[in-house]
Amino acid sequence: MSSEDIRFLHSGPLAPIKKWGTKWSLWPVHLVTACCGVELAHAYACGYDAERIGSLNYGICRHTNVIIVEGAITRKMAKVLRITWEQMPNPKFVIVMGACGLKGGLFWNSYHMVKPSEVVPVDFFVPGCPPTPEALIRAIVQLQDKIMSGEAKTSAEFKEVDLGKLLGVAKEVKPKKPPKSPKKVDPKPEIVIDKAKEVEWELGQKLVEDFQKKLAGIAESITITDVNRICVKVGRDNVLSAISKLADKFDHVKSVNVIDVPHENKFIVEFWLGCYSNKELMPVLVNVATEVPRDDPKVPSVAGIFPSADYMEREMHELFGVWFEGNPWMGRNFLLDPDTPKYPLRKDFKLEEDKFVVEG
Amino acid sequence: MEEKEYALDVPVQPPQEYKSLFLPIPPEFVEEAYRKDEFVILVGPQHPGSGHMRLIVRVKGDIMTEVIPDPGYVHRAIEKLAETKLFIQNIPLVERPAIMDCANMCLGYVRAIEKAMDLEVPPRAKYIRTILAELCRIGTHLYDAGILAVFIGHTTGFMWPFGLREYICEALCRITGARVTASFIIPGGVRRDVDEKTLRFVEAVTYTLEEKLRKFEKIFVKNPAVIMRLKDVGVLDKKEAIKFGIVGPFLRASGVEYDVRKVEPYEAYDEIDFDIPVSDEGDSYSRFLVRVNEVQQSLNIIRRAIKNIPEGPVVSEGLIGKLKDKEKVGKDVRGYFFRLFGRMTVPAGEYTTLTEAARGTLLYTLVSDGKSTVPYRLRVVTPGWAYLKGFMEACKGERLADLQGIYGSFGYFPPEADR
Repeated sequence: MSSEDIRFLHSGPLAPIKKWGTKWSLWPVHLVTACCGVELAHAYACGYDAERIGSLNYGICRHTNVIIVEGAITRKMAKVLRITWEQMPNPKFVIVMGACGLKGGLFWNSYHMVKPSEVVPVDFFVPGCPPTPEALIRAIVQLQDKIMSGEAKTSAEFKEVDLGKLLGVAKEVKPKKPPKSPKKVDPKPEIVIDKAKEVEWELGQKLVEDFQKKLAGIAESITITDVNRICVKVGRDNVLSAISKLADKFDHVKSVNVIDVPHENKFIVEFWLGCYSNKELMPVLVNVATEVPRDDPKVPSVAGIFPSADYMEREMHELFGVWFEGNPWMGRNFLLDPDTPKYPLRKDFKLEEDKFVVEG
Repeated sequence: MEEKEYALDVPVQPPQEYKSLFLPIPPEFVEEAYRKDEFVILVGPQHPGSGHMRLIVRVKGDIMTEVIPDPGYVHRAIEKLAETKLFIQNIPLVERPAIMDCANMCLGYVRAIEKAMDLEVPPRAKYIRTILAELCRIGTHLYDAGILAVFIGHTTGFMWPFGLREYICEALCRITGARVTASFIIPGGVRRDVDEKTLRFVEAVTYTLEEKLRKFEKIFVKNPAVIMRLKDVGVLDKKEAIKFGIVGPFLRASGVEYDVRKVEPYEAYDEIDFDIPVSDEGDSYSRFLVRVNEVQQSLNIIRRAIKNIPEGPVVSEGLIGKLKDKEKVGKDVRGYFFRLFGRMTVPAGEYTTLTEAARGTLLYTLVSDGKSTVPYRLRVVTPGWAYLKGFMEACKGERLADLQGIYGSFGYFPPEADR
């Protein structure tokens, strides 16, 4: 189409018909970006039925003309959002749902977040965490009005209320100081992961005796930290042999955890083993922990023995920079976007702190 | 006739999109696949189902030979943010990964704090927590059933569970005041008491749900088209399920009788009698059926909990024992929040709790140094993250067209898995 044809469509005698058509066929693309998708699904299900105003979720972005951004947009998702938006035909609109999409919401200082308004042009924001389906439908109706009238309006305007008059408070209020932050962070905390606890647990005593026999010369300490929880501390070189000796009773890894202790220059790496095949051992969790220096954080990978540890090791490598020797994915991105700062969960990577402010 | 081999000049260079779409796999993987006459297909992140993650699928013909996940599209850094917020501020944070399962997400974290501080929870609060947790479990299973229906293109199957979820939302609304993000469970109990009228309403909801679910069963669960799509697809046998560390209903679908509510009972689960549905097949359909049957069990649990709920305060004596008007605060903690929890510290040590969330075992490891008012480290392993490996393995050897069915049968919810 030539530019003249387009101008004719937009402002010629047929323009109202085109607008009317667009108004009643606002099809949002399936792009569930975060948890607000729950309420979006409700808006389109039988309870609220947004389909009655001509809006229907559709799978393929090339057949749609609206994106409803459902909450948080991460760095990784921002690229996808842009690609999806670029693939949609004109005229296209963007509605942003949720507090995360507005200013970041709960995740305002996260290292992996982007504001959607910096990625795509936004027509309407729907605040709330999450907004109710009614609010979302209101945004769609508002968008329809915008298509017909050509200008975006705020749907809810509130009268300004003089609180002093309403409550009968004297106008002169002393200048307030912002309250002190209740947050207290110990600069050099002592991290104990195997604090012993006196508990009545017969099976535990038996297990500890068994472990002491099995791991003689390998384990540095074996402690009962609570009912059903045992902590086994081993040296870095003995991790594999200790875990392979425990593998006859415990058959999967429930969690791989790293704790960063910068002032003692160490990482504590934990493998939480669990058991599915023996009914008696099902509730027991064994924590095989080891300490590695921060400047040489290398731990053998247990993914060869327990495949369930594979993805968690990749994740911990990405977040902390601990190198799991033997896991083929080391040195590559898995969870994070390539542009994210390196090793964000280390303690020396600081996030922006919240401030306490008094207004007026 | 003598056979001869002719070399064909097929381009094996990875396409340009390899870079522009930021694929996390090495170029050799793509090259090798091309050389072996296989294809590398990208499914997602924007795909016609719900929840976005990318699956890098290598297919031979239409059989998937390898599936590599590319998660992290909803990684919002819950673990890092938890280190910058007060213990009490983390409650809304930890339920954000799966807001339809808010009570269970919250419960695990709160129990870690209670374990550390040795707080005794009053029996009435325990029952209220159980009711909330089971309501959320039903809600999540319904949600997953709806999404499964979207995946296999069954629109009516999407409408029904979401219509039924409205009842759950209404019940949550009357108990807590919020449709999905309740943040109702606090260390030492729950925020406020639930009155008799609300409990009767929740009980009525369970009967309505039961009746409506019978109709849903006719429409969707026993629908021949659904059975054809899901039966014998994505099979994980018992050995594999254990090896890959699958959790929750998906593990039970493979024949392992593991439910945290039974193995390590918390709240009122040791006082209430219930069964855990188990299946031996381990295919997509049994993964779905186990959850359908679990909804029935949850309805029973709620009814029994409402029947047996004891009277008394809902906030722990250990927290409010020194307050003057502890009678009032024991029923409703509003107005005392900052005084009770603002400067709360947790004794030093490492505390790990297991919770049976709707989609499986949820693990929290809370590390505290004893002096700070923020956690030193909070490790969250959500069920989605735990069964991702098994989900990928279940896809291997299946046809590409069955990928949606397997994805839906796992109820994989990326915001939960990526945290």
